[in-house]
Amino acid sequence: MPDVKLTNVTKTFAKGRILAVDQVSLHVHNEEYFSLIGPSGCGKTTTLRLIAGLVEPDEGEIYIGKRLVTRLPPEDRDIGYVFQQYALFPNMDVWDNVTYGPTIKAWKEEKREKIGREMLQMVRLYERADAIPKELSGGMMQRVALSRALAAGAELLLLDEPLGALDAKIRNELRYEIRRLVKDLGLTAIHVTHDQAEAMAVSDRIAVMRKGRIIQVGTPYELYMNPQEIFIANFIGESNFLEGSVVDLKGDTASVRLRRDLEVKSKRNEISRKNERIVLAVRPEAFEIAKGRRKLENGLSGAIEKVRFEGTDIRYEIRLANDDSIVVVRPSLGGEWLEDGDEVTVGFPPEKSCLFLYPSKGLRAELELE
Amino acid sequence: MQLVNNRRLIAKIFIVAVLASLGIFVLLPTFYLISFTLTRWPEVYTDVFANPLIGDANWHQILRYLAFSLRLSFIAVIFDFLFGIPLAYFLARKQFFGKSILEDIITLSLVIPTSGFGVATLLTWTGISGLGAIIGRGIVEDSFVVPIINVPLLMLLVHVALTFPYIVRTLQGKLEDMEPAFEEASRTLGASALTTFRKVIFPLSVPALFSGGVLAFARSLGETGATMVVASIHTTAPMAIVRWVSEFKLATASFLGFLLIITATIVILLVDFLLRRDGGFTPLKFSVNLRIGDKVLKLEKALSGKARWFKDAVSLAAVVIVVILPIIVVLASVGTYWSVDPDTGKFQGSVLYQLFGPPNYFDTLMKATMTSIFVAIISTYIAACIAIPSVYLIKRYRNGKILRYLLRVPLVVPSSALGLSVLLLWGPSGLNLSTPGIWLIILTHIVFSVPVVMEPTIAAYEGSDVLRFEGVARTLGATPYDAIETVSLPMLKRGILAGVILSFTRSLGETGATFLVMGSDVTVPPLVVNMVESRAIPAALFASAYLIALSLVLLLLFRVVTRR
Repeated sequence: MPDVKLTNVTKTFAKGRILAVDQVSLHVHNEEYFSLIGPSGCGKTTTLRLIAGLVEPDEGEIYIGKRLVTRLPPEDRDIGYVFQQYALFPNMDVWDNVTYGPTIKAWKEEKREKIGREMLQMVRLYERADAIPKELSGGMMQRVALSRALAAGAELLLLDEPLGALDAKIRNELRYEIRRLVKDLGLTAIHVTHDQAEAMAVSDRIAVMRKGRIIQVGTPYELYMNPQEIFIANFIGESNFLEGSVVDLKGDTASVRLRRDLEVKSKRNEISRKNERIVLAVRPEAFEIAKGRRKLENGLSGAIEKVRFEGTDIRYEIRLANDDSIVVVRPSLGGEWLEDGDEVTVGFPPEKSCLFLYPSKGLRAELELE
Repeated sequence: MQLVNNRRLIAKIFIVAVLASLGIFVLLPTFYLISFTLTRWPEVYTDVFANPLIGDANWHQILRYLAFSLRLSFIAVIFDFLFGIPLAYFLARKQFFGKSILEDIITLSLVIPTSGFGVATLLTWTGISGLGAIIGRGIVEDSFVVPIINVPLLMLLVHVALTFPYIVRTLQGKLEDMEPAFEEASRTLGASALTTFRKVIFPLSVPALFSGGVLAFARSLGETGATMVVASIHTTAPMAIVRWVSEFKLATASFLGFLLIITATIVILLVDFLLRRDGGFTPLKFSVNLRIGDKVLKLEKALSGKARWFKDAVSLAAVVIVVILPIIVVLASVGTYWSVDPDTGKFQGSVLYQLFGPPNYFDTLMKATMTSIFVAIISTYIAACIAIPSVYLIKRYRNGKILRYLLRVPLVVPSSALGLSVLLLWGPSGLNLSTPGIWLIILTHIVFSVPVVMEPTIAAYEGSDVLRFEGVARTLGATPYDAIETVSLPMLKRGILAGVILSFTRSLGETGATFLVMGSDVTVPPLVVNMVESRAIPAALFASAYLIALSLVLLLLFRVVTRR
């Protein structure tokens, strides 16, 4: 079972005018379920295609297991690749699609039959072996594509937005099914998606990419709790951003003065100096909320401007006393429901917030997804 | 309410007018030969099968010419495939310097007046100023027959050069539209590039190959201009029609024309029927049967690696040999023959003497040019007036499909059969609308110009979702007429222009049909054939170079119009 290593891999398009992947180094461990996420155009799919050999890097080296594969054509890399739109061969039925790899590799007839049957049974589509691809539903096509990618005995599974074309419900079911398969078969998987919730749900570790670079690698928990950049705090889950400056540093905590002299305490993170201009990030679900004026930790008073009922959650848009706007999300079946115009107090525990230096190019530019 | 009724009436008048002009100008002439042959069957029978003097010798000749033509076309299409497929793949997948020039050269052989191209090929292979310059005599005799496949070399060269673009263009378009993911999926599953081509790309492109192959076959079957120039002692079926008409053997000629029209119609309908069952299905079993095992896979892998350049080099070389070389030779030869015959050293054999000396071919050429251009303009204009409304009928009405099939027939029928049909219908022995001459030429050219204008227009229509945008215009308050004028026609403009230019070039280069209906109003391509037959080679050279230059200009126009 292979691990995958990239060292300083760079890929440009259009004669160097477009930098798609910029000095990326990455180590995906053996039997790991690894995800590459980022906004569209961040280079995640190109990275995957580089690993598969569908494009060649300008610079850098790629290892699969102990093998240097940088200049190897895709057919010699022993990989399984699941394409965004499945790319099932329309001129072949399900069976011929799934046994394509074994046929191409000229495996013995019995072995091919056996693996084809196993693979189709594994995705519960053996009964549909003689269907042609366009007779199948999206979810079925996806499962065929998955079994086709695995049938040739690949130990490294590359998934390019494998669930992107499916309905939300089916997408949620299939993502766990893919993870279960990968774990049962002991494969290494690299999964590309722009859907951070999907990546969080299935991955052992995640790399966040932006503008061709990897900006953070970590477990879903690490990325959620300790984002290292404002961009990630916004891209993974959601965050409220409040501008201010540091007035005091004590141990792990920092005292922060927000606009109009509101003062709160926060986790210190990387801040080392007083009077530094900062951005405080607090997740909407980190807030407590109470009606009227109450005493809460880091309590801030404000008024509800808008209430949105979203089923599982309720979202409150709140204008704070200093005119900053925040969003607070509470589970809809816990606690009391508040209404438009209600005076409220919100508060958050300091350890569930993050502090960042104010970005030099401005907050809005830093958060841009394009 | 009154307004709506008026509109309905106008729509009805419109439909009737379009159908009537299609019927009179296009369908009637196309199929008239069939009814002519059937209604005069006793006469035809006597002439073909039971001639009091020669018995059924005419029938044997028909069979011989037909068999020869079919064999020639079939072999030409096989060669088209052999180097057209790699070329199309190469063009679809690679970006390289000079790609657009190569594409232009391929288009050039679609627009080139064929008799001029025939002269170029003839000179290149048999003359001493062509390739022969290297060894001091012609490379081959003009009647040389390739052993084994048993077809005359020059005819094969000409037919391949004039028909391979149909394969390249249809396949290239198909490959460019094909999702790259299929190819990539196959590669990631362990297949080499060649194996991927055999198992995935080829089966998926079979429909495109079929339709390209049919067009190539039809063009080859009907080709007259270049074929007559390089024919030497050989005779194809379309040539036989031209000859028999000039010998007033109308019954025999019409029977052969009848057979050609039937063949072409059957081929077109058959292929359409096969392809209608959606791409990729037909070749299913075929590709499974091709499973040959380990050795083939290994061989393909080896060939996919280092030997890859070989197939590209071979097909590029083929383009150079059959298309580029003759054109260069003919242009260069005008120079060598300009003031003196390089063989004999005599002034009488020079371009100057033949053009401006006693033979005075220059005046003849200029007169023919005026005739050609006049014919091309008028017939293209009338064809466009019929074709554009026809596109609406075809796309809007349920039975439009039938109309479209019928209108494909004039595209594939050998033009000399078409010319004969027009001659018999409108000429002195038929309705006597016109004697052979410029108006009869125009009536003939309209027949094939209508579908030529129509096809790119339909393609543009299908490619641009016109119906939806017309709907949008209607919701914004446009009447149907407004919507067509302000939305659809501008959207179809490029398609229409491309069709008009193609129709213009086709009319300009047409030889086979024109021969039969021109009377004394000679156009340029038949003039070239006449020059070759009367051994006025320097004049033919000049006229060919002149035609090729003209087609280059038209190509440039075509390119400006079709490229965005």
